Amino acid sequence: MNNSRRTFLYSVTSAVALPFLPSLGLAAPAKYRIAAPSSTPPKRMVFLGIGFGVTADRWYPDVDLEGAKYELPKLLKPLSRHKDDITIIQNLMHQYSADGHAGSTFWLTGANRYAVAGQSFHNTVSVDQVAAEILGTDTRFTSVQLAARGAKNDGHGPGLSLAWNRSGKPVAGLDTPVAAFHRMFSNDATPLAQRQKILNDQRSVLDTVLSDAKAINRKLNKPDANKLDEYFQSVREIEIRLAKEEKWLAVDKKKPTKPLSEPGELEGIEEIRMMYDLMVAAMQVDASRVFTYRMPANSMIQSLGATMSAHTMSHYSEGERRTVSQNRDTAHAKLLAEFFDKLKASKEPDGSSLFDHCSITFGTNLSSVHTLKNCPTLIAGGGSGFKHGRHLVMDNPKTPLCNLWLSTLRGSGIAAESFGDATGVIHELFEN
Amino acid sequence: MKSILILVALLSLTACSKVWAQERLAVMPKEQSAVFKKYCFECHDSSTQEGSVDLETIPTEISKDIQTAERWAKVLNVINSGEMPPQDSEQIPDKEKLDFLEELSGQMVLARKILSDSGGKITLRRLNRREYQNTIDSLIGVRPDTSNLPDDQASAGFDTEGASLFFSSNQLELYLDSARRSLDFALNSSSKVKSSTKRVEPEETYTPHYTAYLKELKTRISNSKAFLASPDDPPEDLGILDAYQARKQMRNAKHWVPQLEEYVGRPETKTGATMILTIKEGGITKIKLPAVGAHAYGRYKIRVRAAAYKDAPVRFQYLEFTSGTPRERHHMGWRKVHGTLEEPEVIEFEFDHQPGEKQVYMIHQRTHQDRGDKNLWTLHQQENGLGTPPGVWVDWAELIGPQPFALRQRDEILFKRPRGWSEKKYVTEVIRRFATKSFRGTKPDEGYLEKLVERFQLLRGEGNGFRKAIVDPLAIILSSPNFLYMVESDGGEESLTAHELANRLSYFLWSTTPDQELAELAESGKLSDPVVLRQQTDRMIADPKFDRFIRGFVHQWLEMERVDMFQFSGAQYPEFDNAVRANAREELFSMVRLLVKDELPLKDLLHCNYVVINDLLAEYYGIENVEGHEFRKVEVERDSVRGGLLGTCAVHVMGSDGIRSSPVERGAWVLRHLLNNPPPPAPPNVPQLSRLDGKTLPVRKLQRAHQEQPQCAQCHQKIDPIGYGLENFDPTGAWREVESVSFGRSFFGRKKAKEFEIDTRGKLHNGRTFSNFTELRDAIADHEEDFARGFAQSLIAYGLGRPYGFTDEPLCDQMFKQAAKTQYGVNEFIHALIQSKTFTTK
Repeated sequence: MNNSRRTFLYSVTSAVALPFLPSLGLAAPAKYRIAAPSSTPPKRMVFLGIGFGVTADRWYPDVDLEGAKYELPKLLKPLSRHKDDITIIQNLMHQYSADGHAGSTFWLTGANRYAVAGQSFHNTVSVDQVAAEILGTDTRFTSVQLAARGAKNDGHGPGLSLAWNRSGKPVAGLDTPVAAFHRMFSNDATPLAQRQKILNDQRSVLDTVLSDAKAINRKLNKPDANKLDEYFQSVREIEIRLAKEEKWLAVDKKKPTKPLSEPGELEGIEEIRMMYDLMVAAMQVDASRVFTYRMPANSMIQSLGATMSAHTMSHYSEGERRTVSQNRDTAHAKLLAEFFDKLKASKEPDGSSLFDHCSITFGTNLSSVHTLKNCPTLIAGGGSGFKHGRHLVMDNPKTPLCNLWLSTLRGSGIAAESFGDATGVIHELFEN
Repeated sequence: MKSILILVALLSLTACSKVWAQERLAVMPKEQSAVFKKYCFECHDSSTQEGSVDLETIPTEISKDIQTAERWAKVLNVINSGEMPPQDSEQIPDKEKLDFLEELSGQMVLARKILSDSGGKITLRRLNRREYQNTIDSLIGVRPDTSNLPDDQASAGFDTEGASLFFSSNQLELYLDSARRSLDFALNSSSKVKSSTKRVEPEETYTPHYTAYLKELKTRISNSKAFLASPDDPPEDLGILDAYQARKQMRNAKHWVPQLEEYVGRPETKTGATMILTIKEGGITKIKLPAVGAHAYGRYKIRVRAAAYKDAPVRFQYLEFTSGTPRERHHMGWRKVHGTLEEPEVIEFEFDHQPGEKQVYMIHQRTHQDRGDKNLWTLHQQENGLGTPPGVWVDWAELIGPQPFALRQRDEILFKRPRGWSEKKYVTEVIRRFATKSFRGTKPDEGYLEKLVERFQLLRGEGNGFRKAIVDPLAIILSSPNFLYMVESDGGEESLTAHELANRLSYFLWSTTPDQELAELAESGKLSDPVVLRQQTDRMIADPKFDRFIRGFVHQWLEMERVDMFQFSGAQYPEFDNAVRANAREELFSMVRLLVKDELPLKDLLHCNYVVINDLLAEYYGIENVEGHEFRKVEVERDSVRGGLLGTCAVHVMGSDGIRSSPVERGAWVLRHLLNNPPPPAPPNVPQLSRLDGKTLPVRKLQRAHQEQPQCAQCHQKIDPIGYGLENFDPTGAWREVESVSFGRSFFGRKKAKEFEIDTRGKLHNGRTFSNFTELRDAIADHEEDFARGFAQSLIAYGLGRPYGFTDEPLCDQMFKQAAKTQYGVNEFIHALIQSKTFTTK
């Protein structure tokens, strides 16, 4: 297994470039898919973004203890039982990121905000969306974006979720457990014929608004036409989704093995725990294979009893701020450990677990305060074939974070030639 | 030369802006270049190129292109982070490093501005969330719930900036959904609810409730006693597990009994309710009015017969009116109670209940945002044995209404069908008229209209009534690009069409679609006449809808989202409650509103001898003889600390984090908004200073560290002194003579504190020295012209829907000159912008 993957990894550079798909979220042509025997459980990816950075001086393991012999820092102790299945990587960063309050905007993209003359904001596609083009073809939901309310002051920066589409525009997120629950698991009681009719109706609505858009487009200059293109693209995205919905129309949304009931109004810790549970449930029924979660910060620390804001906490110093910051780091580790427990406990038909085929990244673009170097990065799961149980310290303190994204893609069998400003894969991840 | 040409091409092509563009270059000056050469070239010249970094070839013109700017950004970052020069190399002396970093960060900001200049181009823009809501309201008379739509204020700048207003696929569905619901309401709801008066006698609820609770507490005490009398063999029917529970139950019950005994013992609770803040059994005493449903929309009046307990703190002598669900309350307003138990008064409060909303309206005492009320009760209980003293008594409350709104729009949309018209002819005309109106002057495409009619016929054919079948086609109109975007066609002509001008004007001043008068003037072409345009501008400024400009613009201009960003501990700052926060926000709007109404000079915002407040804020500020909840001008002494933005509660709340004042936030805010000299953004990767961590020190001492390293000092030498000059304002904007720094564990939300002298002495960077707040205020007030320019720049950005760029400098100058005639009056700035060529052309 390992051998074949490595062959694949080293040969892929000569492979065909992942095309810049003109339509978004479009299923990639079959030739770009890595054919997997149907008996193999599917690959999945999860990205968990926490916004403001961690308590840097106590979150990272000792740089002198590399490899398997490292000690898990006290703050991360709740993860001890998973130590062999996780890896902490140091010295990853995005060279273009400079906003000390934006931990999520460019985290999964690595874009340069100022790359386009005449614009004060620019972004590019996020790694999860690239993955979803391949991994998401066979599931009801191409990808699922989870987020939280009140994200404005949580250190995430501009955006609606962690995900950005092929044109670098924000992808909306489901920002409460209730919304996520209904989207993924609630079945529509409407009869099939009726639902087919609704789909056709939606198409005719799109057709009508398009005729208005075309009427405008005829009289616009180029920059304005480019702006209106967002509208056209939105319509196209919906068309693609409707086509997919039609395919799944007769198939009921599956209920997870452990029946979930509709979550109530949750905030903070309980909200995060529920979102993790919903992701596990969605994987169990294979509702989607790509997930991002832009997590709450303010409501989380408040549910831990803090009265300060997350921003105040992020400027931690000795005393209460540090206590809150450390409590938050440990609470995240605890929630994450529970998430891993549940993924490990969920078995695929072949006896392996969801965890074995899932690639999980936990982190943010900020290490602490306004620092954008050495982004906190904790990875887990067998989805990308990484060898875990180690502490990796990259030699180059400016190793592109996009190298990890590229490794994650390729390790999961996605033939991306490159991603963002990646200079290559992180070989250490695949080596013994 | 080539670079200038590129730059010119990037910027606008008008002759005027060329001149400006040529002057606008971000360049590394000679002196700093020398520093750069001296300390960096040893390793990074063209021959050595250590780490493949060759700095010798890097152009000194930072704004040359994006690649050059990017290279300089890296230079700035590595020096800021202390990574370069490496520790074993010769270090840059502090003074030179400071100057170098200051210059380079300033030039970087300039370069980013030059490179991101839109060149005067106004991008096609979508209606933002506020405008969408207002426009639907104008068109159909129903205010849609837009809480699901993206909040367009999240990105930097103003929410009118076209280039930042994204569109995503889920938005299209949300628009459709929202429009369907609103239209269904507008066209199909029938307000059959007759106006009525519903009276609530609160003693019917509260007296028995508290009496029963008192009885239960007494039972608990006697049960606990019985349990503890024989803990080894306790009676089993007491419902008590163990001695621990018994003791705890008894202790708690004993806390609450005195207040309840006092309550039921008051004679006035036989005929009304005394509002107490309890921590048990439903929390605070509140008068819950009968729920109002979705169809019972209209204007309502609440009447309350109430009395104040004059010995209670004045903060408690208010009624707080809230709406929402029992869990989530929205504050509607506050009224002070003047009546006494001998002579109660009847207080009236009016409000609108919007179609489609379900609300529970409540009346209670003033509350805090967090657990403050509970904590304060406990602290009071420990002092007086009773808990927080009551401030208001309510005899009864009445909900009167609804007075239905006139559904004028419904009658317009579904105009009377002329005799002899077939349904198809009629519906075609209904759709055409609605689309034309919704498209703000653009004629809808015929093919598009046909599709909408077909849609109607399809729905009608399925057995829907006329009014149901028309909802969908109209909702599609309200989700079509001609409605959602401010379309200005590129017909090759420079001037805007009269309709396009009317639209710009209307969205600038009203954040909604033009009204009939404006639309008619556009139709007849008269609006393009500068005299008519000026008259219309004046009319619009005088209209109540102008309030949307005040709120939309002022909120974003002054970054007022910070007013609500932080929680304040109610126990630590008992005076700063929900009421003060909301009224402090309102004060800023009221100040600008007064400037407009009375045509006062803009510099009044820097300093003036009046405040614009109401009774509640007057009490907070310690100003006497202000009665009533309306905001009005109140004269203050010339040396009062109030008067001008720097004397307001809101500004100082924005400059704190809920725990302490932040001289950095306050100083940066003053530089950004008053002095028009914004500091560069917080640099990434600067090591956090931790030398003084964990020590209980006054803020000025804590931040001394900012001056110790050049990376920090380069900006903080400008920022911090201003903040120190404002240190007499505590985090809640109250005046203080000493800084009280809390430490240790919190006891019911309150902590111990050490007190420190406040040192307000300082100097504006390259400017006047000051020894206290009033001198600082005077020094800032000297910058009237900088302030006015900053205001004009924000107005341009908001009004034109794009970030202020260098191409706008001639426009800014022109506005500045024109407004100077009225001592920089807000109205004249608005006129100057609207009359400008930029505003009236594409």
